Amino acid sequence: MIYYIYDGSFDGILTAIYDAYYRRETPEKIVSEDDFQESFLINKIYIKTDREKADKVYNAIETKISNQALKNVFYVYLSERTDRGTIIYHYLKLGWKIGIDIDLNLTNNNVLLLQNICQSVSKERHFMLGLVRFRELKNNILYAPIEPEYNVIGLIGQHFSNRISNENWIIHDVNRNIAAIYNKQEWIVIELEMNPTIELHKDEETYQRLWKEYFNNISIKNKVNPRLQKRNMPMKYWKYLIEK
Amino acid sequence: MDVFEKLKILSDAAKYDVSCSSSGSNRKSKKEGLGNASVSGICHSWSDDGRCISLLKILFTNDCIYNCVYCINRCTNDLPRAMFTPEEVADLTINFYKRNYIEGLFLSSAVYRNPNYTMELLGKTVKKLREEQNFNGYIHLKAIPGADKEIIEKAGMYADRMSVNIELPSSEGLRSLAPQKNKESILRPMNFINSRMHQSIEEIKTFKYAEKFVPAGQTTQLIVGATRDDDLKILKLSEGLYKGYKLKRVYYSAYVPVTNSPNLPAISSPPFLRENRLYQADWLLRFYGYNADELLDESKPNFDLEIDPKCDWALRNINLFPVEINKADYNMLLRIPGIGVKSAMRIVSARKFASLDFDHLRKLGVVLKRAKYFITCKGKYYGLKTMDGENIRKHLVSEIKGKESTNGIEQLSIFSLYPNLIINNNKTIVTGAFQ
Ligand code: SF4
Repeated sequence: MIYYIYDGSFDGILTAIYDAYYRRETPEKIVSEDDFQESFLINKIYIKTDREKADKVYNAIETKISNQALKNVFYVYLSERTDRGTIIYHYLKLGWKIGIDIDLNLTNNNVLLLQNICQSVSKERHFMLGLVRFRELKNNILYAPIEPEYNVIGLIGQHFSNRISNENWIIHDVNRNIAAIYNKQEWIVIELEMNPTIELHKDEETYQRLWKEYFNNISIKNKVNPRLQKRNMPMKYWKYLIEK
Repeated sequence: MDVFEKLKILSDAAKYDVSCSSSGSNRKSKKEGLGNASVSGICHSWSDDGRCISLLKILFTNDCIYNCVYCINRCTNDLPRAMFTPEEVADLTINFYKRNYIEGLFLSSAVYRNPNYTMELLGKTVKKLREEQNFNGYIHLKAIPGADKEIIEKAGMYADRMSVNIELPSSEGLRSLAPQKNKESILRPMNFINSRMHQSIEEIKTFKYAEKFVPAGQTTQLIVGATRDDDLKILKLSEGLYKGYKLKRVYYSAYVPVTNSPNLPAISSPPFLRENRLYQADWLLRFYGYNADELLDESKPNFDLEIDPKCDWALRNINLFPVEINKADYNMLLRIPGIGVKSAMRIVSARKFASLDFDHLRKLGVVLKRAKYFITCKGKYYGLKTMDGENIRKHLVSEIKGKESTNGIEQLSIFSLYPNLIINNNKTIVTGAFQ
């Protein structure tokens, strides 16, 4: 039983797929070193991330399968599931055979699983677009803490750089200690640890109060439906909402 | 009066206006400005009644010269009145928007002094937002019935969407409940907005820099249950509005009893279930290729409250079923209860590779509890022993009852408002920022 162990990066998975192909090996699993559980029966092969190999696989996905496949693979990577390497591997293996129609092949369990994962990531990304709440800091920077289940911060930066292009802002993934930051020109993702005491702008509290006032007012009292509310807006996202 | 007080009164007065979508426009953000309008629409929160919040929905004022019987703002009603200034509305919109609370502004108003004066105030507000504050977010503006078309046009230049509320689905209804309004004063601005929109689309084809006029189109709202009009009449009206006036959406709002006038029906609670049935039927008109006459007719002018319109249609046409899943074309798949747009598309994809069985369907998201009575898979039928409409109906009713009473009425949930959200994954730019 061969396991490929990679360093946890996206390029690492792509390198592993490159190696499997050229070594004509069929690894049982492709796992990141963090997720790997030592076992006596496993034959480990460590994959050294190689940017050139990764680029080749990246381009091959785009040209031999589809753009959509590339996006799918990246989304599955961002799901941070421990089996993500293996799922991507099986998907691409089938993809080299079928080509652009791979995503239609929903009777294949691996393809269906991959699509469901992509959908969850995509759904969370969409949730984040709506549920990110900025607070204006004393120095006029807009700051938003988030705790998404998946690593979606890189998928939302572009949206906010279009949306709030004339302000400086930070979106902070508190658990992963990373942040998307924007300086009115461009945005990047960096590692970030926040100072726990942040100072708010003098008007911030007023607008928070106005928003809460609006939020409470807009619901129709004889139609109150907390279950529906929770289903549309899962409670795991409430922590940083002003209105909740 | 401070802004808190005004916001309280004027959001309260607007909350029964049901339109909430912010989709359908793609206003590009400009550097130096704030905001863009996203085509797919974004919900920012869900209120305690489970409705999606995407816009700051307020009235400019609730101080009305008219006396529509069904309306809480009518001039003879004794309640606190308030009026924003254009600056206040602009400031709230900008500050809510940049904190990512909202996708834009929904601005409506009671009729203050006269229709033209009110429309001018609304126009002034949106002009301020767009020109002085450089706001590029979404704006949905109400056109006030009776205002001159030049004034409506001027304001409309700054809006993404405009709507004129029809409110009452018939002329008799208007006569008895809103005597100062008439069909003409409502349809004239609707007609004008429609033709002005199309003119602008033509101009944009020829002149690159021609201005867009309400690019996200026009909607309207109908009150259900304040008049005697039946569902068939309402649905026919909607169908006509979609076809003839190219409306983007018709919203339905269950009549909420606010007074007891002899002209109003004596009901104790709003007909929410009926409202829900109309939304479901409206959905069938717009996305499933049904027409109003298939769903209702003179002999049955109202929806069955026990069963949704699609199940009802299938049962009345039981001779068309069962349908073989591996053969039926896409449009027929859509007509099977328990199969939505997404699962129909998945079925069509998946069966190119393998012939589908019952288990596959479950994985593809088909609601088998409902669909099983209407389908065969590889020739095998999983429903009841006989294809008997009455019997199937009984089973469906008990199934649906359980579901609706626990989930409540949910026509405004995110998935029903944005069918595209789930079907097309949003386009994303892979930035490579993670390397
Ligand atoms: S004109 Fe509008 S706000 Fe005024 S009473 Fe009639 S429905 Fe109400």
